Amino acid sequence: MLPIYQAFAQVMQPDVLMIVIGAAAYGLMIGSIPGLSATMGTALLVPLTFFLDPIPAIGAIVAATSTAIFAGDIPGALLRIPGTPASAAYTDEAYKMRERGKVELALGVNLVCSTIGGLVGVAILIIAAPQIARFSLGFSSYEYFFLALLGLSSAILVSKGSAVKGVLSLCIGLLLSTIGIDVVMGIKRFTFGDGELIGGISIIPVLIGMFAITEILRKCASPGKAPETPPLHIGPATREVFSTIWKYKGGVLRSSTLGSVIGALPGAGADIAAWIAFALSKKLSRTPEKFGTGHPEGIVSASSANNAALSGAYVPSLVFGIPGDTITAILIGVLLMKGITPGPMVFVMDAGLVNAIFAVFILANVLMLPLGFAAILMSRRLLSIPQNILFPIILLFCVVGAFAANNTLFDVWVLLILGIIAFVLEENEYPLAPMILALILGPLIEENFMKSTIKADGQLIEFFMRPIAGTLGGLTLLVWAVMIGLALRRRYARPAPAN
Amino acid sequence: MKLNDAILGGVFVLLAIAVLVESRTFPTLPSQPYGPGTFPTIIAVIMLVAGGSQIWAGMKSSAPLVVVQDWAKTDGAFGRMLAVPAFVITYILLSKTVGFPLLAPVLTAALLLIMKVRPVVALPIAVVATAGIWFLFAWLLLVPLPLGLLTEVIY
Repeated sequence: MLPIYQAFAQVMQPDVLMIVIGAAAYGLMIGSIPGLSATMGTALLVPLTFFLDPIPAIGAIVAATSTAIFAGDIPGALLRIPGTPASAAYTDEAYKMRERGKVELALGVNLVCSTIGGLVGVAILIIAAPQIARFSLGFSSYEYFFLALLGLSSAILVSKGSAVKGVLSLCIGLLLSTIGIDVVMGIKRFTFGDGELIGGISIIPVLIGMFAITEILRKCASPGKAPETPPLHIGPATREVFSTIWKYKGGVLRSSTLGSVIGALPGAGADIAAWIAFALSKKLSRTPEKFGTGHPEGIVSASSANNAALSGAYVPSLVFGIPGDTITAILIGVLLMKGITPGPMVFVMDAGLVNAIFAVFILANVLMLPLGFAAILMSRRLLSIPQNILFPIILLFCVVGAFAANNTLFDVWVLLILGIIAFVLEENEYPLAPMILALILGPLIEENFMKSTIKADGQLIEFFMRPIAGTLGGLTLLVWAVMIGLALRRRYARPAPAN
Repeated sequence: MKLNDAILGGVFVLLAIAVLVESRTFPTLPSQPYGPGTFPTIIAVIMLVAGGSQIWAGMKSSAPLVVVQDWAKTDGAFGRMLAVPAFVITYILLSKTVGFPLLAPVLTAALLLIMKVRPVVALPIAVVATAGIWFLFAWLLLVPLPLGLLTEVIY
């Protein structure tokens, strides 16, 4: 019991608590304002976490993201605009509930299920992560290379649109990661004689540029009008929340577990988990005909799943240092800045840190209940903030945030240039997730690839000779085969253009 | 604003060629063909192939060179969008000499006005936002935000 006690003692410090509560409130705000995604919120948080100790820094990110994923449900139910992509799966259903006068029930179910899903995800993380870490202690550079490659390949596989564009986005990320001192011989690469580039591209301005500047550019061009929101009455409907969840308890449990597993898969995140859980719950439902008419069953399942996925995504991130989605990619970037290299060794060498991370996960998810309730009550205010006021302020924050990490204006240039590049790419349907994953995983991939190549003396077959490396390598090739198959099918299934 | 796939494909091909050329200049490990250039070379080759296929796809499709998307059709959309890089570049060029406390409210107010916020609202918001960010970064997190012109006034 002692380690758990110690972990909680570390987390229950007043300053840590305050930071976690502050971050949770911030996450609720980000999530409930349409147009501000959980990823963007996390990216904006990074310059602040730079100044925090590892535990509060992680706590801030975990708290902000899990509350943001819940809060994304609020504008979904009230305005039919999902606050974050993770809520999109059941926005229509929740809005139908609003039309039937049950919006309070929908939001209450969202909140409680998000909390339950998050906690189940954390439980799975706590149970699974150390086991996997122990198992992976024997991994060599071959295994790590394939794990990272598998992660990147899956990120392309699940991203929408053309796989070729995903590959190109990935290549940009990898190339950006090669700027600076190289890992093999320590020479300067692609620095163009610039002193600032020797240390490599700094991750903070890239993150803010990619996820915030892109959105600011779009929203400044055509700011959305704040729509009318209906008043909320916390009354009889609130009491129905628990009976509704109890009625579909099987769905909650199934979707939470499913969500955690999907989250743990590389590349797949909260949005995909919500879609799958919603579809599955419709398939297994006794009353599938009620779906689409404002029926809470699907909402129960999907809002458990997306928060569970968020926790599940931390399994590969903490155990292998390989992020499952953009949010965990950012978290890994933050850990690396703190001098912590996530991987199985952390579990062996620094069990205290790992336990504290687990404790902070539990805390963040438990705090969501009261704070989320407050957010629902205040949602009308939040939703009425006009975007043309919001985005200029966010821009100022971005500029200062990019400057703050290294106190250099060079990083503000990086912010602007990467922001514009990311904007152009996104406008042309290039997915951004592979790029950010590649940028963060780049050094890991290159180091393990070069180590393996030198060990194997250039014999590619050596990469597949160890049992686990061979399996992972085989899986990676399988993912590639699926991608090529899908691309070919799309090409031939498409009716030939009339000419 | 969606460009024809061939245009960005071409950009990627050029970038890949530049990386390939630059990677040739890197040294290799003694008596081994590998070195700092190996990894960038592999990526550049992938990029070359993928970029080439985008050029092919773009040329084959009947897509026009540029398609203007819905959001860009709003009145003055491009002007407002250009205001964002203008804001950032002005900050980069002037923040050291003018200083954050003087420059930030002016820039923010200007952008708010461009975004059609009424001056009565825009000015106080710009001042409050600047003060909030100053409090958070300079006061709480001890980031040395430049004082610029105010340096002599204060010291």
